[in-house]
Amino acid sequence: MKTALQQALELIIGGSGELSNILLVTARVSLTSSLVSLIIGVPIGLLLGSKSFFGRRALVVISRTLMGMPPGVCGLLFYMMFSGVGPFGRYKLLFTVEIMILAQVVLIIPLVVSNMETYVSRISDQVRETARGLGLKGLRVYVLLANESVYQIFTTYLLAFARAVAEVGAVSMVGGAIAWKTNVMTTAIMLYTNRGSFTLGVALGLILMTISLAVNILVTLLQRRLSR
Amino acid sequence: MKVNAVTKTYEGKTVLRMPALEFEPGRICAVMGANGSGKTTYARILAGVVRADGKIKPFEGNESVGYMPQKSYPFRMTTLSNVNLIVKDKARALDLMRTLSIDHLAKQRAGSLSGGETARMALARLFMGEFDVLVLDEPTASMDIESTALTEELIKKACRERQCVMILVTHSLKQVQRVADDLLFLYKGELIEHGEAKKVLSSPTRQETKQFLEFLGD
Ligand SMILES: Nc1ncnc2c1ncn2[C@@H]1O[C@H](COP(=O)(O)OP(=O)(O)O)[C@@H](O)[C@H]1O
Ligand SMILES: [Mg+2]
Repeated sequence: MKTALQQALELIIGGSGELSNILLVTARVSLTSSLVSLIIGVPIGLLLGSKSFFGRRALVVISRTLMGMPPGVCGLLFYMMFSGVGPFGRYKLLFTVEIMILAQVVLIIPLVVSNMETYVSRISDQVRETARGLGLKGLRVYVLLANESVYQIFTTYLLAFARAVAEVGAVSMVGGAIAWKTNVMTTAIMLYTNRGSFTLGVALGLILMTISLAVNILVTLLQRRLSR
Repeated sequence: MKVNAVTKTYEGKTVLRMPALEFEPGRICAVMGANGSGKTTYARILAGVVRADGKIKPFEGNESVGYMPQKSYPFRMTTLSNVNLIVKDKARALDLMRTLSIDHLAKQRAGSLSGGETARMALARLFMGEFDVLVLDEPTASMDIESTALTEELIKKACRERQCVMILVTHSLKQVQRVADDLLFLYKGELIEHGEAKKVLSSPTRQETKQFLEFLGD
């Protein structure tokens, strides 16, 4: 184990073509999917958290339920839709980076929506009452609400990114973990461990844990700011 | 200016039953009453924050109503940016802040202001706008004597100059004596007195008002 760890550290420091490719693909998939989820999810969360309309509660429950959707189920869904015989088979997206991003977006949007909804519903009554009293309407109220939620938006982004980086079920199913193409950190760990070559797996594990640590430190710092 | 009769019911319990009223522009109308008598509910209905029963609109026309809630909310920005929110006019914003003696807090985050400072910020923020009706829900509740005096001066001046309808919810008998032209008195959601402030205070018609005023007199 010690030699595996040493080798892993040497690998990280020395860098290898395959390792950097895996990191690049991971960065591309996770950064894109978390950002797209944020862009779609934040406005929905703002709306759900601040406006009362018919079916709002139902949507909140659905969003919270989807948040717990197993990544494998999401992967299966996309696999069936985009496989050769599926309705979207002709787009030939299966086993590409694009469909990995798409599957992760669907997986992560509910997390963004629920997170924002919970926060916004706590502040929205006061913000709306104040804005209304000042004669502000429509979009300006949402801009104010978003401005009040800036730290929460950052925190939510970090959580979304953390989920994307650590997720394996969906990306392995729709991406296929093809070396030099769709292999990300989590799928690579599985692949190399199954082959009995631990070095790359341990190296990737170390990097993943470091990312997770950094994200959590950031979230903690932001939440400290939030609670003030 | 005519205001329709409105009622408000929460979970089968009617907490407010107001008759149609006529407010005169350029006059300050105080609203008094014990805790839970319905003052805030009435203010919120006038401001359009809360819907009256049957979705009855308080005003017939499209009068613009400015409203300062009982609890002022500081937006996550500087005090100056808070004041300079509805119309962008920095010079006027600073002028208003000077009137309320909060100009030295211009660059400070509004979230870090004290209760009385936050209330003055909210008042300045509201007075930046032009409204036909202004509803203030206990604006001086958390202010010290000096800030209260500045606020009362501003309210009186703004009301005369702008010729707007000014509705001032307050707990202070002295404040009513100092600034109010008219007075509404609420008791358990009912309007039990209404008329010129001096007359209502000197010769209340209902026993409940007398008792309440005696208490305040202490
Ligand atoms: N959202 C609400 N749901 C239920 N009851 C309410 C609500 N808002 C106010 N009330 C009730 O209405 C009554 C009047 O409240 P309020 O107008 O705030 O009184 P005041 O401002 O005169 O102290 C109180 O008994 C209060 O409990
Ligand atoms: Mg009140």
